[in-house]
Amino acid sequence: MTFSLILEQAFNGLQAGVTLFLVAAGLTLILGIMDFVFLAHGAQVMIGAYAATAISLATGSFYLGILGAIPVTFVCGYLLEFLIIRHLYRRDHMDQVLATFGLILFFNEMIRIGFGPAALFSDLPTSLSGFVEILPDVPYPTYRLAVIVVGLLLAIGIHLFVSRTKLGAMVRAGASNPDMTAALGINISILFRFIFATGACLAGIAGMALAPITAVQPGMGEPLLILSLVVIIIGGIGSVRGAFIAAILVGLVDTLGRVFLPAMLRLVMDQSAADGAGPALASMLVYILMAVVLVFRPTGLFPVKG
Amino acid sequence: MTHPARKPTLIRLFIDSVMAHRLLWALLGLFALFPIVTIIFDQPFWNDIAMRIMVLGMAAMGLNLALGYGGMVSFGHAAFIGIGAYSVGICDYYGLTNGWAHFAISMAVCAGLGLVIGILSLRTSGIYFIMITLAFAQMLFFLFVSLETFGGDDGMSIDRADFLMIDLYEPLRLYFLIWLVLVIVASFLMFIVHSRFGVTLRGIKSNEQRIEAMGLTPLHYKITAYVISAVICGIAGTLFANWQEYVSPDIMHWTRSGELMIIIILGGLGTVAGPLLGAIVFLLLEEFLPELLHLFAPAYAENWMIIFGPLLVVVVLFGRGGISGLITTYMPKKSDQQVRHD
Repeated sequence: MTFSLILEQAFNGLQAGVTLFLVAAGLTLILGIMDFVFLAHGAQVMIGAYAATAISLATGSFYLGILGAIPVTFVCGYLLEFLIIRHLYRRDHMDQVLATFGLILFFNEMIRIGFGPAALFSDLPTSLSGFVEILPDVPYPTYRLAVIVVGLLLAIGIHLFVSRTKLGAMVRAGASNPDMTAALGINISILFRFIFATGACLAGIAGMALAPITAVQPGMGEPLLILSLVVIIIGGIGSVRGAFIAAILVGLVDTLGRVFLPAMLRLVMDQSAADGAGPALASMLVYILMAVVLVFRPTGLFPVKG
Repeated sequence: MTHPARKPTLIRLFIDSVMAHRLLWALLGLFALFPIVTIIFDQPFWNDIAMRIMVLGMAAMGLNLALGYGGMVSFGHAAFIGIGAYSVGICDYYGLTNGWAHFAISMAVCAGLGLVIGILSLRTSGIYFIMITLAFAQMLFFLFVSLETFGGDDGMSIDRADFLMIDLYEPLRLYFLIWLVLVIVASFLMFIVHSRFGVTLRGIKSNEQRIEAMGLTPLHYKITAYVISAVICGIAGTLFANWQEYVSPDIMHWTRSGELMIIIILGGLGTVAGPLLGAIVFLLLEEFLPELLHLFAPAYAENWMIIFGPLLVVVVLFGRGGISGLITTYMPKKSDQQVRHD
């Protein structure tokens, strides 16, 4: 177990973390401001990935794919909010779970009809398919590095937007007390439609970023959805800063756990048992983390409402 | 409810609860007679669907005690179904084939786990509670994926258990075992719902502070309800394993917890009969939507979820109170009258 392996895996964890943050950033506001359990957020990831892949396969350009997919996901989120979601804000959590569960089934099936059940694969442009030396003799895939950089830039952008702009102040006010914000003359329903579409778009960008390095297939968003829910709960519902810290934490714990837990298990049990149990036990780690956080801080690390 | 002046003896309570749940008794009666229908039409496959309905309906009834009556939106009850199913598989693996022992072990493990998960989860509320119960279920899911001894990801095939004097491989034995357990669980739930405990639980759901002000500790009631619902899901899981003769971590996937919620909402929240009605509708849709689609658009028969998904959205948007809500609205004298008690 060398230093370069640890470094490489830490970067992988970081990449997983920033991707998770893109999914979680919109979702934390959706959960935080309108108290809305939105399970179909994973479908937005899938829509983003499919839009980017389909457009880049059609045009032959990776960058055109991304450029084309961003408006697609934004419009998708906007229409979804306008047609269905806004009628459900005042319902209880159960109704929201049920309706958005139905939406997951619908979107997965739409994609299956449109693109078939098999996974889609797309190629990276040559400019991104090489390796960069992050330290002497420690090569790292350029594309993953680019995802980290873009993800961090977006995270900084979201942070500046939420903490420095007037619209961001409305968002924060909405998250801590929607009724009072509405009473101050801010149109909460339009604000939320905007946040919803932006959140969908960010989730879509996460999907686009993942498209060249994972299998693009129906249902690809669900594991990410569950993980980003974990992130939001750890970070505190409605807190963008909490979501960022929790996303990096979860990304690192998940990735490093997957790599190093089997190795550690091998010290205490025989090889084959460790190889079998390791990956699954590693998958448990993030949930253990979340349960521990919730037991000691029942409203997450950075609660917004107080 | 019993008249305040009347002394609520056990028998009185039981008769009252039976009278208040005519719809449920009608459904249970239908299930008892259903094998006659399958014999007349010579479609033994229908019995399989009916067994699935009864088992999932039973699990949903259990969850409904926590969810519909106690207001605890648990997104992780599939884990208890899984524990119940795996207690058959794991006991089998170690040579213990007695079905009653399986039941005892599954109930004990589910009670213990339900107690621990309940105590930890009930420190939180609202969305946090939904998510922490999901987290515990995911932990158990991945735990069973990691247990290579018991098949890991692929699961394990199991033989139907030995119930003294009942050979489950004989036709209809399993059917009536499931039916009998369902009747027992349903009677137990009816009894609970009408007892002092059940009334307090509903009181907690509508106003927790008030119950606290009356000198009771809501947390104790909630944890008890959570444990009971976990045990019922465990029983359902044990039966499920015997029916399927196979168990894999898939049985406790988070989408199954979602399915249980769908069943409850379809049927109607906070009624004893609702989940059973919901299970009937849910599984019949699952079974016959593909065939229906096959008639109109054969190419898309596999894609029945494209209808089912939006159907769920429509049910939520327009059908409040689920199916039993509709029934009670249109014929209030002939079915559950305990629907909107609060």
